[in-house]
Amino acid sequence: MLKTEKVVVLRNSRRGHVRVVRELYLREQVPCFSSLCQGHCSNEGKVLPGDITHYVVPDAGVVRDFLEVLEFQELRGIVFTQTACQVVQHTRGRRQYNRLKSLLKDPRHDCVLFCNEFQLYSYCPREKGETQEKWHTRCVYRAAVWYHDHLAGLKPVVMITEDQHAVAEYNRLTSGVYVISTQEYLQSFWPDLQAAQELYISIAQVLQERESEGQEREYAEHLPAEVLEAGIKSGRYIKGTLKVNKHRAQQEAFVQADSSTKNTELSSDVLVWGMKQRNRAVHGDLVVVELLPRGEWKGRTIALTEAETGVEERTGEEQSQPMPTGRVVGILQRNWRDYVVTFPPWEEVQSQSRNSQRILVIPWDRRIPKIRISTQQAEALQEHRVIVRLDSWDSTSLYPNGHCVKVLGKSGELETEIQTILMENSIHVLPFSEAQLREMLLNSKENLWTVEAGEVAERRDLRTTHLVFSIDPQGCEDVDDALSVRILPEGVRLELGVHIADVTHFVRAGSLTDLEARSRATTYYLADRRYDMLPAVLSADLCSLLGNVDRYAMSVLWELDAKSLAVCKVWFGRTLIRSSYQLCYELAQSLLNNESVEVPELAQLGEVDKKKRLKELKTALEQLTKVARYLRTQRDRGGALELEGVEVRAQLDAEKNITALVPKQPLEIHETVAECMIYANHWVARKIQETFPQQALLRHHPPPCQEHFSQLMDSAKARGFDIDSCSNKALADSLDRAVDPHDPLVNRLLRMMATQAMSNAQYFSTGSCPLEQYYHYGLALKHYTHFTSPIRRYADIIVHRLLTAAIKLDKGMEPNETLASNKELEEIAQHINNKNRAAQQAQKQSIELFQCLYFKDKDPLTDQRCVAEAIIYAMRANGILVFIPRYGMKGPVYLKNRENQVVSLRNDGSCEWQAGMLQRYPDRICTITSNGIHAFSLFDHITVRISVQALRCHPDSLCLEVISDRLQEVAKLESLAAGKGRLELVQEVVRQAEAASQQVEEQERVPQLSKEEREYQQSKGPNLYCLLQEVRELALLDLSVGALL
Amino acid sequence: MAGLELLSDQGYRLDGRKPSELRKVQARMGIFTRADGSAYIEQGNTKALAVVYGPHEVRGSRSKTLHDRAVINCQYSMATFSTAERKRRPHGDRKSSEMSLHLKQTFEAAILTQLYPRSQIDIYVKILQSDGGNYSACVNAATLAVIDAGIPIRDYVCACSAGFVEDTPLVDLCHAEETGSGTAVALALLPRGGQIALLQMDARLHQDHLDPVMEAAMTACRSLGQVLDGVVRQHLQEVSILTGE
Repeated sequence: MLKTEKVVVLRNSRRGHVRVVRELYLREQVPCFSSLCQGHCSNEGKVLPGDITHYVVPDAGVVRDFLEVLEFQELRGIVFTQTACQVVQHTRGRRQYNRLKSLLKDPRHDCVLFCNEFQLYSYCPREKGETQEKWHTRCVYRAAVWYHDHLAGLKPVVMITEDQHAVAEYNRLTSGVYVISTQEYLQSFWPDLQAAQELYISIAQVLQERESEGQEREYAEHLPAEVLEAGIKSGRYIKGTLKVNKHRAQQEAFVQADSSTKNTELSSDVLVWGMKQRNRAVHGDLVVVELLPRGEWKGRTIALTEAETGVEERTGEEQSQPMPTGRVVGILQRNWRDYVVTFPPWEEVQSQSRNSQRILVIPWDRRIPKIRISTQQAEALQEHRVIVRLDSWDSTSLYPNGHCVKVLGKSGELETEIQTILMENSIHVLPFSEAQLREMLLNSKENLWTVEAGEVAERRDLRTTHLVFSIDPQGCEDVDDALSVRILPEGVRLELGVHIADVTHFVRAGSLTDLEARSRATTYYLADRRYDMLPAVLSADLCSLLGNVDRYAMSVLWELDAKSLAVCKVWFGRTLIRSSYQLCYELAQSLLNNESVEVPELAQLGEVDKKKRLKELKTALEQLTKVARYLRTQRDRGGALELEGVEVRAQLDAEKNITALVPKQPLEIHETVAECMIYANHWVARKIQETFPQQALLRHHPPPCQEHFSQLMDSAKARGFDIDSCSNKALADSLDRAVDPHDPLVNRLLRMMATQAMSNAQYFSTGSCPLEQYYHYGLALKHYTHFTSPIRRYADIIVHRLLTAAIKLDKGMEPNETLASNKELEEIAQHINNKNRAAQQAQKQSIELFQCLYFKDKDPLTDQRCVAEAIIYAMRANGILVFIPRYGMKGPVYLKNRENQVVSLRNDGSCEWQAGMLQRYPDRICTITSNGIHAFSLFDHITVRISVQALRCHPDSLCLEVISDRLQEVAKLESLAAGKGRLELVQEVVRQAEAASQQVEEQERVPQLSKEEREYQQSKGPNLYCLLQEVRELALLDLSVGALL
Repeated sequence: MAGLELLSDQGYRLDGRKPSELRKVQARMGIFTRADGSAYIEQGNTKALAVVYGPHEVRGSRSKTLHDRAVINCQYSMATFSTAERKRRPHGDRKSSEMSLHLKQTFEAAILTQLYPRSQIDIYVKILQSDGGNYSACVNAATLAVIDAGIPIRDYVCACSAGFVEDTPLVDLCHAEETGSGTAVALALLPRGGQIALLQMDARLHQDHLDPVMEAAMTACRSLGQVLDGVVRQHLQEVSILTGE
């Protein structure tokens, strides 16, 4: 090794300059990471392929400014030089550098890092008087030349640069090494890659404009980092993440102080009011705020605002108590992502300014300010949804600058809207690449997959000894759990078994499939489709525990005492099973209810045989239910909560038009299966936590914040119930007591509110969390994890690996895979948590989208389906929040419109707008008009009309309008419902009739459907509709409650 | 500017070394003729000078005299020009006194003091340029100076520092690594017997990681020992040529 010295000038803490002399050791052997290497480099990991036409070496300036262009997967064979990477690190900050690093690590992307400054022959010291940029370019060029020589001229090397002098100086210097500009490179080498060229042009434009910016200042400058640091330490400033209020994006934003903040008197979030005070911070940024003097503090607005209204005048009476208010003085970390925006109409653009190349586009997410982009395609792109990336936001500019990245499609189309939802939640799901699919085993008719002999020897064979069956929704493809129950030979013990698909057998740690699954983290279920975490060959075939085929499984077997049902012994391990029955919930429930039903698996058998087998299955189901009931009561005693979520599924017809929105029906068997799964998860959690106290992946559910319960308590008080939230046991008991015998919905709503008050359950690594925080509040379990759905959750795959390792250790063997350390595991856990949140958000948004689509083509005034019963669950200053049980949705109802008119009631209960005023009390809201005073109280049932509010730039939203304060059911029972003081008996009848009418509706819906089908002349055979039905079923897999489990 | 990346994904450190590679070591013995023994060492950009006087009778207060062995007196100082910003106080501050004490402990373990009862050995070391690993450079220089003075010693005392970054032990830390990595272990070893003369760690380190770090530091010390051995043999050759004439 040769030693040289490098002189670096650094800035020190007091803003002075310090000359630092660093050593530099050069060596001859620096790996080149090319498969064509002639010189025995020790190339490990990712290697550039030899089957491409050339290698490309981007200059430091190109990597710094045009990294996004280089991120295209189509551009292959990129050699990043160390020089360029360091330039990115020094000039663009950590975020951009991490992005470059993750690009280098991404196995799907053909690019490598060459440490040119440690290579003896490619290193060049800086010459006297040479500018830094020139020196960097020279270093990169030397690296390119070295690369070419090292590969003995087998591949031409292209260096791309933005510096025209460099092109002139170096292009003809060495044969085989070409120096050209980036634009020329893209045009001549990748003429087909239109997207990259457009991206290049839009970034170049932004760079050009930044140089010629105006000087007028719109915002205060941010303070330098040292001042912020000192201010945070002294407690003068508060550090936190900025959250913009979705409903009042122009005015209200909150900063949630992070735990390190010293200011102890601060009890709540800090309000940042208005764009000026927000000082260029965007939703999600890590900012530093300074509190304003107490006199300038403001309250948050509690009135409902209609989404489309712009800046409004708000008077003090509609604000809550003043809360700490502050202004942003600096931004520590930008958290910009890609945003979906819509172009304004062309006429508007033209009137906006003469300079029509710069356009203000409106993001889909209301929390993001308008973005200024420059493009020449504005006319072509109007009404389109486009992905935009933010570049900068200077104090001289009112809006941030961005550039166009990709066009998604015309707004309003289903495909575009779904893509928008995915994009806004940062979900990237490309089809599985060929390389990933190549890793998969094949299972086709010609090449049938069978169990391997070696595996049979290693696994416990349950094919003949156990009766295994699975219970899933109708038409489920990815069966990842199966159950078994039997009485052991002596008769005193019962053996309960939970068998989970052995995904880790097929997905090796570190394989491409594994990496892809990790980056997806979960299967995404949208209202009409799903994006699988694993390729279909695994999720729907090899891993899926289908009926009557041999499958690998990971099993937990408990030996329970037959009488007391206490656990005597538990066994974990890999098994080989063959599921005998693939039941669906409805079928299993009817079997339990002793209804005579046809089990498809037994259809072929003779009468006697059939009876015998059926009896066997029934006994098993009954035993299972018995055990599950016992387990449930055990947990209930500990304080487990029964929670309520709204869940609707959209019924789609063949053309993806929605024909109905149906809430889900719960059955006891759902609970039975769920209980067994919870039990399995719990025991696995205990096992891995015992074996790996520092690095096990568990799931905890932190106890909720008591303040969140205040709304629940107030609402409950209105009906005379007392909710005790001091522990989960107390809460569960008080929720059980809070039943109104006349109105079952009250309890459901209260449970829903309780669910809302909860914090989300989270994955964590045991090493990074103190022992007492392992507790799962909702389930009342000390340890909990996810083990039972490895096909659709990545966390389960990790837990499977941990369990395998734990079993191996028990047997005294060393686990053959190295396990993730605590730090890595915590990172993965955070990643999965984020992705889960995104998945839930995306699902919710897609359901809302479908709700809008459902109501879009219905005329609200005439269509009976747009009129629904609603129940009031909260009060606001100018309206109420209601829940519509029929469609399972919630929304605001305004009692005061923009002309300051309020809703008044005629004698028959119907409503009209009239001049008047509103008065709000904790449990009711009164409208005072010439017609008299009318009160809307909590838990009143009213009738609302649903209509769709179509918006250009934002997602469509539903608009609710009260049309009567009484029920107006389809069965026309309102005559019975009218009047409040009637006898209870009458109300009971009404409710029964309601329930009946709902059922009638459900049944009616089916003929309705076929009527439509007749109208559109559609075949009734197996069509796309059936397929979508299946998909929809899958979307129902315990999602809302799944968020808490 | 983003924080420094002490160990890149490719496994290179800031200055291009691999985690287990030492910096370049250059040393000379017998550079001053007035003193009994002297040596100069460069470990990368850290440069140290050591001078040894003695054994001679105890100077100053007689009360310090030990009747069964020699007293070792160490003094450590840094040149005012040794760091990037000029140092105000070259010696006598807390850090220097602590370092002097450590050096004293190290050499009391290595020198056969019982051969010189009621006498004193003085070791003076000065850091001329500092770039991390000051303690180890001082120990290594002092070893050579003690050997130059002809004082019997159990074995070479070789010292090296080690740190722990991203689950990898790094040896022979430079200044940037020392300040950036958090944990630094300084270890002085008598390589032949494998005895540890001094082990010092100021920051916290997880117990599980201590063994790999110590192991790395000890390996580094052994290879340093070989270098020092080479220097001594070279010096002897030169001296014997001179005296042989």
